[in-house]
Amino acid sequence: MLKLINLSKSFGGIFATNNVSLELKKESINAVIGPNGAGKTTLFNLITGKLKADSGKVFLEEQNITNLSETEITHLGIARAFQIANIFPTLSVYESIKLAILSKKHGLYNMWGRFSDHSINIEANQIAKLSGLYKVKNIICSELSHGDQKFLDIALALALKPKILLLDEPTAGMGPEERWMMISRIKDLWKKTKMTILFIEHDMDIVFDIAQKIYVLQQGKVLAEGLPKDIKQNQNVIDAYLGGG
Amino acid sequence: MITFFKQDNFFRDATVAFLSWLLLIGIYYLIPDPGIHDIIQKVFILGLFALSLNILIGYLGLIAFGHATFFATGAYTLGLFLQSNFITDYNLGALSIPIAIILSILISGILSAIIGAICIRLKDIYFSFLTLAFQMFIYSIILALVNITGGDQGLMGGFPKPPFLGLDLGQPFDFYIFTLFVSIFVILMLRQLIESSFGYGLRMIRDNPERPSALGFNIKNHKLIAFILAGSIAGLAGSLQALLDVGAYPEWAFWSKSAEPLFMILLGGMHTFLGPLMGALIFEILNDFVTANTRYYGLVLGLVILGFVLGLRQGLLDWLLMQFNRK
Repeated sequence: MLKLINLSKSFGGIFATNNVSLELKKESINAVIGPNGAGKTTLFNLITGKLKADSGKVFLEEQNITNLSETEITHLGIARAFQIANIFPTLSVYESIKLAILSKKHGLYNMWGRFSDHSINIEANQIAKLSGLYKVKNIICSELSHGDQKFLDIALALALKPKILLLDEPTAGMGPEERWMMISRIKDLWKKTKMTILFIEHDMDIVFDIAQKIYVLQQGKVLAEGLPKDIKQNQNVIDAYLGGG
Repeated sequence: MITFFKQDNFFRDATVAFLSWLLLIGIYYLIPDPGIHDIIQKVFILGLFALSLNILIGYLGLIAFGHATFFATGAYTLGLFLQSNFITDYNLGALSIPIAIILSILISGILSAIIGAICIRLKDIYFSFLTLAFQMFIYSIILALVNITGGDQGLMGGFPKPPFLGLDLGQPFDFYIFTLFVSIFVILMLRQLIESSFGYGLRMIRDNPERPSALGFNIKNHKLIAFILAGSIAGLAGSLQALLDVGAYPEWAFWSKSAEPLFMILLGGMHTFLGPLMGALIFEILNDFVTANTRYYGLVLGLVILGFVLGLRQGLLDWLLMQFNRK
C-alpha cells in the first residue's frame, strides 16, 4: 500500500531521517516508536509532502508520490492527524467536518450556494457518528475537551476518505484512562473502515496491544521492525529503548 | 411573517435588501434635508469600502493596510475615462457611466491581482507593511503624473454625467437612489459570498492557516481571490465617490485613507456581517457633527475609538448582538 525506499532527510548535516525503508500492507495497523528526536514526525512530514526528501522514494499503490506537494498527496489518499490538535477554533465541529469534505471535493470555490444548506450534510453526519463526535457536533471547536479536540483532528482526516491514515501521537497529553479510551476508539475505527493506519506512540503497552507491525526508529534510522512479539525480544530495542525492562 | 425573516437564505436577504432600499427612498422624502441625504450616501459608499476590507480582516484574518489604493484606482479610472475622448469618439452616450463604473471595478481588480499575488506570500505584519508600501508607490505615481492626474490638485475640470436608464446623476434624487441601489445590491452579493462555501473557506484560513493544506485545500488561490474581490469592491466604492464629488483626489490614495475603513471596522464590529456598515454610520455622524462644532476632530475620533476599544472591547454591532444573544 505505502512503500518508502531509502528515504533520507537532514537538517544542517544531521540526519532526521536516515535511509528509512518500510512497507505497509493494505488494511494493516502499524506503529512507529522511538525516543524523542528519533525522527518520527519528520518521517510523517516526508510522507505527506510537508517536507521534501533529500533522497529516496515514496510509493503509494505503485504510484511514485515522492516530493509531490502536500495538497496533491492529500488528494491521492494520504491523510494525517497532528500531535497537537490542529483544528479551527471558532468553527463548530460540524462545520469543520463539512469543510474538510468540501476541501477533498474541491467544493470550496462555490461562491453562491449557502454553506449551511449544502448537499454534503448526510456525509458530514456519517463522519461525525463514525468518529463519535455526533453528540458534540454543534459545539465550537475551542470549547471541546482535549480528547474530543484530538479526535476531531482525526475526524477531519477521516472526512477525506483516505486510503492511509497517519496519526501523530493520538494519545499525546492524555492521562492513562483517557489514553486507553482513545486507543479503543482508534481500534474501533480501524475495524469499521479497514483503513491502512500508521501511528506514532510512546506507550509500549498500547503499541504492543494494537499494532500488527512495529517500526522502531532511533536517530533517524530503523533500528528494528517486526511483529510485537519480535520487537519485545529484540536485544537492540531492549538496550536502546525499552531500557532493559 | 416572522418565520420568514428568521430563516437564513438568499430570498430573506434579498427581501431585506430591497425593503431597506425602499425605506431609504422613503427617508429621502420624509426628511427633505440635503445634508442628511449626503450623509446616507456617504455611509453606503464608505460602508462598501469598509465591508470590502473586512473580507480580508474579519473573515480571512489578513490586516491589509493599503486598501485605499484600490479606492483611489476606482475613482481615478472613472474620472479619467469620463474625461477622455472615448466618450465622444465612440459616441457612448448613455452607456458612458455604466461602462466607466465597470471599468473602475475591472482596473482595480487587475491591480489588486498584481499587488495581491505578491503580498499574500507574506504573513502578519509583513503582509500589512507590503500593502502599505504598494499604496505609497501608487500615491507617488498619482502625484508624479501631473499631466494625467492633475498631481496634488486632483482630477480637476469635472466630467459629463450623461443620463442612462432614465437616471440623470446630476440630479440629487437620481444620484441618491442609484448609489444606494448599487451599494445595497453589492452588499447583498457580498453577504451571499460570505455565507457560501467559499466564505467558510476564508474562515478556515483565518482560524488555522496551517491545517488546510493537509486537507488538500490550496489556500493561496483562496487568499488571492479574496484579495481581488476586496480590491474590486473598493474600486467600485471609489468610483461612486468620484461620481459624487465629480473629481478624484490624491489623498484618497494616501495611507490615512486606508485607516478610515479600519476605524469603521473597529467601531462597527468585524465579526458581524454589517458591522463595518454600522461603523461607517458612526464615522460619518462623528465626522459631520464634530467637524461642525470643533476643530479638534482627530481628538474626538480618538477618544471615541478609545472608548470602544477599552469599554466595549469590540465593535458596536458585535456588542449589541452579544447582548441580544445573551437574553
